[in-house]
Amino acid sequence: MKQPKALAEYLIALADDELILGHRDSEWTGHAPILEEDIAFANIALDEIGHARLWYELAAGVTGTDKSRYPDQQVYFRPAVDWRCLQLVELPKGDWAFSMLRQYLFDAFESHRLEGVTASKHQPLADVAARIRNEEFYHLRHTRAWVPRLGQGTEESHRRMQAALDELWPYAQGLGAPLPGELELEEMVPHSHSLFMLWSSEVTQFLIEAGLDVPKSGGCVEVDRAVHSEYFPALIADLQEVAQLDAEAQW
Amino acid sequence: MIDTQWPRFMVFQQEAVGKPFIHNGTVHAPDIDMALLNARDVFARRPQAVAMWVVPADAIYTHTREELSNQGARQPADQRIRELADYFVFAKFDKQDQCRRIGEVQADSPQAAMSAAIKEFGSRDPLWWWVFPKSAVLSSAPEEASAMYEPAKAKTFKDQAEYPVVTMMREIRAKKKK
Repeated sequence: MKQPKALAEYLIALADDELILGHRDSEWTGHAPILEEDIAFANIALDEIGHARLWYELAAGVTGTDKSRYPDQQVYFRPAVDWRCLQLVELPKGDWAFSMLRQYLFDAFESHRLEGVTASKHQPLADVAARIRNEEFYHLRHTRAWVPRLGQGTEESHRRMQAALDELWPYAQGLGAPLPGELELEEMVPHSHSLFMLWSSEVTQFLIEAGLDVPKSGGCVEVDRAVHSEYFPALIADLQEVAQLDAEAQW
Repeated sequence: MIDTQWPRFMVFQQEAVGKPFIHNGTVHAPDIDMALLNARDVFARRPQAVAMWVVPADAIYTHTREELSNQGARQPADQRIRELADYFVFAKFDKQDQCRRIGEVQADSPQAAMSAAIKEFGSRDPLWWWVFPKSAVLSSAPEEASAMYEPAKAKTFKDQAEYPVVTMMREIRAKKKK
């Protein structure tokens, strides 16, 4: 392994996206519009948090840290400024349309990234990606079922979906920005810019078919993942509050 | 009052290739495709599944043992369906048991399918009978089985038995008493 530091940074960014998206999804537990969806979205939230754990554990292996403790340390004891998630996943859960559409936009991109990472020459990376990909297949099926139904459902569901798209679209353009460490990992990981091209044409067509007006895009936006949204500090405080009450507690 | 509830779908699960499909419960969904997704989420947490079916609840024609002993097989009342179709026959034999697939019949209406089922399998005397046309079933695709059912196998944390809460609380209380 020539670039352990770059790979660790890359993995942390992947993990942070999954963890924060999973956290926001989990806020629907007990509040989703119907029981079946409550269970479905709680499952998706659990899956995303599970994927974060896999990436953190891989990062622990790369940096030679204790794999059993590293994910908890990263999630419960890392200051907000050290996280590397996209603002897209930090935004409050909004209404059902907003959360469903965010999940779709994110997962559609992730499916392309995972396909690329599954082909990585770095075997441990490829193995984890393959494992995650099997579950993401189902997530995408779920959100791809919902987006057109909401987009073309009732007047209200359409209005909410359009509002969600207008708000999410600018943030989603940041999905194509290279991840931390990515540029040093040539040959090992897919290029985010290329993934963005695939993603952009695919989701644009899908959203149009779902009856939505896709806002104009100036293409991929370069984002600094060290810069967080105004909502992020409160999210992290909420996430870490209990663990930090007693750092030595046994769970 | 306006009924805003989504339609009901019956969920059937196959635990291994070659085993009969077994009724597992019901889900609500706006349509049958969503019903299959919901069924996976609600029921495939138990990892023993290789395939699932969903069937609109109102496509299922039922008889209970009691009804049969009271009035015999009901006379065909619904004459709308006249084309010969394949029907699945499901039956439940014991209160503890689940309704399971026992065979198939061909008939030109649900009522006729029920009569044919009772004629063919009546000696087994189940508690209740279900028949529904094969065409009412949406089945999970074999090539999707891995994504639909495999992930649950690694997720023991979704299993209640994974959390020894009762014994843990007992130990804590016992300590407090001392």
